[in-house]
Amino acid sequence: MLDSATNTNETVINGVRYNAQAGQRPLRVDGCTTVPALFRERCKTLGGRTAHREKDLGIWKPYTWDDYWNHAKWIGMALRKLGLKRGEAVSILSEDRKEWAYFDMGVQAVGGIASGVYTTDSAKQLSYLINNSDSRFLIVEDEEQLDKYLQIEDEVPGLVNVIILEDEGLHDLEHHRCMMISELYEIGKQAAADEPDAFEAEIEAAQPEDTAILVYTSGTTGMPKGAMVSNENIMAAIEAGARRLSVQETDQQLCFLPLCHILERDVSIYFPLAGKCVVNFAESPETVFNNLQEVSPNTFTAVPRVWEKIYSQVLILAQEATPLGRWAYHRAIKAGMTRASYMVDNKPVPAIVTVQYKIWDRLVLRNLRRMLGLDRMRRGGTGAAPISPELIKWFWAIGVPLVEGYGMTETAGLATLNTRDDNRIGTIGTPIPGYEVRIADDGEIQTKGLNNFKGYWRNNEKTAETYTADGWLRTGDVGRIDEDGYVTITGRLKDIIITAGGKNITPAEIESRLKFSHYISDAVIIGDRRKYLTALIMIDQENVEKYAQDKKVPFSNFASLCAAKEIKDLIKAEVDAVNKEFARVEQIKDFRLIDVLLTAEDDELTATMKLKRSYVEKAHAHLIEEMY
Amino acid sequence: MSEPILKIRNVESFYGPIMAIRGVSLDVHPGRIVSILGANGAGKTTLMKTISGVMDPEKGKVLFEGREIQGQEPHKIVHDGVVHVPEGREVFPLLTVDENLSLGAYTRHDKAGIEDDREMVFSYFPILKERRTQEAGTLSGGQQQMLAIGRGLMGRPKVMLLDEPSLGLSPLLVQEIFEILKRLNEERNMTMMLVEQNASAALNLAHDGYVMEVGRIVMDGTAEELLKSEDIQNFYLGVQEEGPREQRRWKRRKTWR
Repeated sequence: MLDSATNTNETVINGVRYNAQAGQRPLRVDGCTTVPALFRERCKTLGGRTAHREKDLGIWKPYTWDDYWNHAKWIGMALRKLGLKRGEAVSILSEDRKEWAYFDMGVQAVGGIASGVYTTDSAKQLSYLINNSDSRFLIVEDEEQLDKYLQIEDEVPGLVNVIILEDEGLHDLEHHRCMMISELYEIGKQAAADEPDAFEAEIEAAQPEDTAILVYTSGTTGMPKGAMVSNENIMAAIEAGARRLSVQETDQQLCFLPLCHILERDVSIYFPLAGKCVVNFAESPETVFNNLQEVSPNTFTAVPRVWEKIYSQVLILAQEATPLGRWAYHRAIKAGMTRASYMVDNKPVPAIVTVQYKIWDRLVLRNLRRMLGLDRMRRGGTGAAPISPELIKWFWAIGVPLVEGYGMTETAGLATLNTRDDNRIGTIGTPIPGYEVRIADDGEIQTKGLNNFKGYWRNNEKTAETYTADGWLRTGDVGRIDEDGYVTITGRLKDIIITAGGKNITPAEIESRLKFSHYISDAVIIGDRRKYLTALIMIDQENVEKYAQDKKVPFSNFASLCAAKEIKDLIKAEVDAVNKEFARVEQIKDFRLIDVLLTAEDDELTATMKLKRSYVEKAHAHLIEEMY
Repeated sequence: MSEPILKIRNVESFYGPIMAIRGVSLDVHPGRIVSILGANGAGKTTLMKTISGVMDPEKGKVLFEGREIQGQEPHKIVHDGVVHVPEGREVFPLLTVDENLSLGAYTRHDKAGIEDDREMVFSYFPILKERRTQEAGTLSGGQQQMLAIGRGLMGRPKVMLLDEPSLGLSPLLVQEIFEILKRLNEERNMTMMLVEQNASAALNLAHDGYVMEVGRIVMDGTAEELLKSEDIQNFYLGVQEEGPREQRRWKRRKTWR
């Protein structure tokens, strides 16, 4: 992976120059120390090459680095003209699309701070985020998102303008603060013509320590906090990404997780600035699997939920195949699994195993990968939630190298990573290059390095709580490091349950084990100051419906599905299986199913579809009381 | 409530490789009108056809009065007492009104009873009596629909399956036909299963309702409950949600709660 260095202080990785030693100041990527500078460098050299692809009326269309540069420039110049000052925030409320990247870069280039808002957030949350970040501008995608602003326009007096990306249904809109993106571009073109050197001068003015973006962390308790991520933090993430997650210039990626989330932001906006690869924007969160097939990306980063869905799809297909097809599938998976067990243990694969795999690969697995859109995939990544080790192994078996990583907003998205060549399933990998990880006395994972964030926006108290006296970041996660440096997470520090018997229990460990069941999509363990542990369980709709159908369990809607005795028995069996792995005090004595189908709009779920403990406990208090 | 007269359990039906019903279970209690709502392609008509035996389900059971009837020949099912009034009326255009009605009683042999029922049909639909010698193809749409319902009644059914009786009819005629269906239910205790696109008419007539989407039931409840649901109001009854702007085009996502 490492090519010969051009000078002694630098090393070249896939054609991009980095510091020879990771994690050193000044952090340079191709000589640039800030995100806007790197952006300028890339647009200048790549010009007419494709940067983004988006589907328009059913056809994937390319957009070049020149487009990227011009639009970002117009946006930056227009916002500056309209009154944006360096260090002021701009909120972006949109699904993933190329304009998201244009605004991210345009805002940062003129010294603004880009802050993403989830499209599933309510008007009330939007109001809080605009006021908390003191945003001067708000970007809304369409009329649906615009309506959220219109509901709260009196609450956000600090806002100068609202910019709308899609004018569909809004031709008649007349509002003194709203403008269409086309108008903004016109203002920007004019401003750029008036002051031709201003944009680049603003880029020059950026400093590594400047806050580049605000990322609001959902905060299961209290209101969300805005994490200030600096240019240097992002550059550190880019540097670590390049060393551990190698990207080729010819790579295609698929962007579909919310760009407000640090994971997708890194992978789809910042890493490509270094890696020069092409980012394809999925049409919508619902079409990901189709888009995956169409794009067939070379690298793909997703949350465990998506990898689980792909697995269930295959499982269902296999069940419904002809007996011959089923037989072939099972043989192929068996051959793949045998090979995968050698590979995940980093042992040489015996020749006979390789030959068997090659045969089954040719007959079955290759077609399977092509059908799923995984045929070109060099590396799959998973993060943001725990994933079952068995699932990772299954993907290796079908020939998709899937690796798990760990990071959080406060570490600019990356902290530890497994890689293709150095993968220990069940762990979150080793610390990224130039980064330190330690385990505190109470078991907390603490980190130190240049990608650790500057602090929470206007919240020194929380910032102080997040760093130890000697400058290490408290991740809030509990875990351990093995003798080879691989980190394993066992739970959240705050979530530790102390039962009435006085026993400390980390619920995440039990919850993850439950989640590894195909029938359970998420679970929350209850038991703080109680006699015993219980669980609230959210079932996986698709797989449980399929089960009910196969077992002839009658049901009409989701609630009646959850109420069916057979389904309760099914989940009971899953819970019992998990209980066997834990000591008596850690066993789940009773459980209830959450019988409403939760959506991302609900308070109980995070944008990445994880249950939020505090909200779940509140919303389903009656179910909990039933169990005690 | 009494034991359901019609029970559907985990039915799956296919058109070739396409799964049109993906596991549907529902109950119809005697004397009740049950309405099935859903957009185009939700599988409502397929469900009706599966009950009346026109289609055979791949999986699942249809229980009528406790007996399994799925996969039986359609005429057997009519004989048992389940009559299907198809979508688009489908009267025999070249036969007279009288002949059409006689065909409705094809499975019966009690001459006197058939004649009684013919009079009963005429009492509900007097216009058919006036036109009894006319060819059915020359009737208006509303009259054809009445004839189709009347033809169904001639089978002396215990359960009537009505597939979109309001299709292509003027609002006034819809009202008239729904009035008659209501009387049939009240006076003759006729159990009905009604598929409708006209959700407001259907829910006002029905006692219970089910909502289908892409081959599955997503919501069920009494008609009053469904009428109160925000999703039903928004997506089936055309109630506009309050918003800050007048010309709002977007709709919130369905939750079916």
